Amino acid sequence: MSDANTRIEETVKSNDVVLFMKGTKEMPQCGFSSRVAGVLNYMGVEYADVNVLADEEIRQGIKDYSDWPTIPQLYIKGEFVGGCDIITEMTLSGELDTAFDDNGVAYNKEMADKIREANG
Amino acid sequence: MRVKDEIYERLSAAFTPRELDVVDDSESHRGHAGFQEGGESHFNVRIRAQDFDNMSRIARHRAVHTALGKDLVGRIHALALDIDS
Repeated sequence: MSDANTRIEETVKSNDVVLFMKGTKEMPQCGFSSRVAGVLNYMGVEYADVNVLADEEIRQGIKDYSDWPTIPQLYIKGEFVGGCDIITEMTLSGELDTAFDDNGVAYNKEMADKIREANG
Repeated sequence: MRVKDEIYERLSAAFTPRELDVVDDSESHRGHAGFQEGGESHFNVRIRAQDFDNMSRIARHRAVHTALGKDLVGRIHALALDIDS
């Protein structure tokens, strides 16, 4: 296994929720990353953000690791959940809440409902 | 061939879409990361096809990525996919 793979695996296994993104959760550098980080921030989810722009090895490595060609990528409990389109759909349908519930990840349900109200 | 047409062609060949819209949305990203003069960097795809029946969200997206091919996906800066059966 390559060094990038090992580092990615350690990251997704040692954090309940990980977002591989362009930029950071405080300062996203891409609209798609910004949207997913925004949802997580708004829902008050505790998560690790990995800025792929700061690490070329991870930027390529995460695409291979997930077999997914684009950034952002969300992991919950070591499992790849999806990119921006999927997370947006899951947020609006409530499936993201379910995924957090099923994995014992804390979040603010009221804020999640607010996102749905505003985008319903 | 324009990238937009390439996307359309590859998806039509791989699936049997009842609806397929490919929009080159590059111009609305002028000044943002990934924008290039001449466009062809940002695309929105909406596809509806029976092929996606009983597939998970991730599987649907992977099927589309595969149909487009690594070369094409690699050339596009941003690809927003709206997929349903």
